[in-house]
Amino acid sequence: MTAARGPHVLAYADGEFMLAYGSRNGPQLLVLQPLFEEMNRCRAMIAGLCRALAGRGVGCWLPDLPGTGESLRALDTVAWADWLAAVEAAVATARDATGIAPAVLAIRGGALLDDRAGSRRLRLAPTTGRSLLSDLRRSALASGGDPAHPAGYTVPPALAEALGAATPSVEGDIRTLRLASDDRPADHRIEGTPLWRRPEPTTDRDMEFVLASEISSWAMA
Amino acid sequence: MTIEDQLRAILCDVLGLDAERAAALDAGTPLFGAMPELDSMAVAGLLTEIEDRLDILIEDDEVGGEMLETFGGLAAFVKAKRGA
Repeated sequence: MTAARGPHVLAYADGEFMLAYGSRNGPQLLVLQPLFEEMNRCRAMIAGLCRALAGRGVGCWLPDLPGTGESLRALDTVAWADWLAAVEAAVATARDATGIAPAVLAIRGGALLDDRAGSRRLRLAPTTGRSLLSDLRRSALASGGDPAHPAGYTVPPALAEALGAATPSVEGDIRTLRLASDDRPADHRIEGTPLWRRPEPTTDRDMEFVLASEISSWAMA
Repeated sequence: MTIEDQLRAILCDVLGLDAERAAALDAGTPLFGAMPELDSMAVAGLLTEIEDRLDILIEDDEVGGEMLETFGGLAAFVKAKRGA
């Protein structure tokens, strides 16, 4: 079987941007990316991971949420409910295209939104909204910027409020991965680099390989 | 893990220090102003990572001075916060 590894560009949720990787037969995975600057820092790693997973027979769906990545919407028009609705729309797009309800891989702040995706969830280094907001505020202070518009992100007050209260949900079929250096509770630990903390976008090929193995085994189980 | 070991792991993760440099961190090791990787943006990530992993909250007015001067100062700050 020659699975097209893609990615293919497609639209979901009224013109939002999504990439689809790999075969539409077999296990399908919706990938919820980190939020804000962490999304940029992890972009290369996540693209590499989706290609690797596609190569292993797992179809990947990688939406950019409204106001993030390739989205044409400005972040300052986005509400928390838009992100929740976008996740539901992305699930529906993947399910309609394949007839399969996708499992979910949620990375960092993506885990704050994954309960809308319903099914089985694998989380990598989930974090809280409060922590993400602290990071944005401190980065803005450190760069001499305006804490209300940290690092060029205009986070509208209502979105900031909802984000600050958001924690990863605890109900459902959830498996949590953390890095070996992080001793908070986890189901499994992997060696690797916290790319979301690196100021320059970078990759960690060893971690990518370990993650691809871990995720594909889980997706196929 | 001791608080010091947890802080070593966090500094490794945030600053990309190799294991050798992390292991060599002791109470007298100078941090902010002496460690090139630890610029003010990295401090932002360091503080958030410390809050998350060591379950404390750090106020803006607590940041600076002795707590970032040396590794020992940072460890003492975290221990005082945790009431340990």
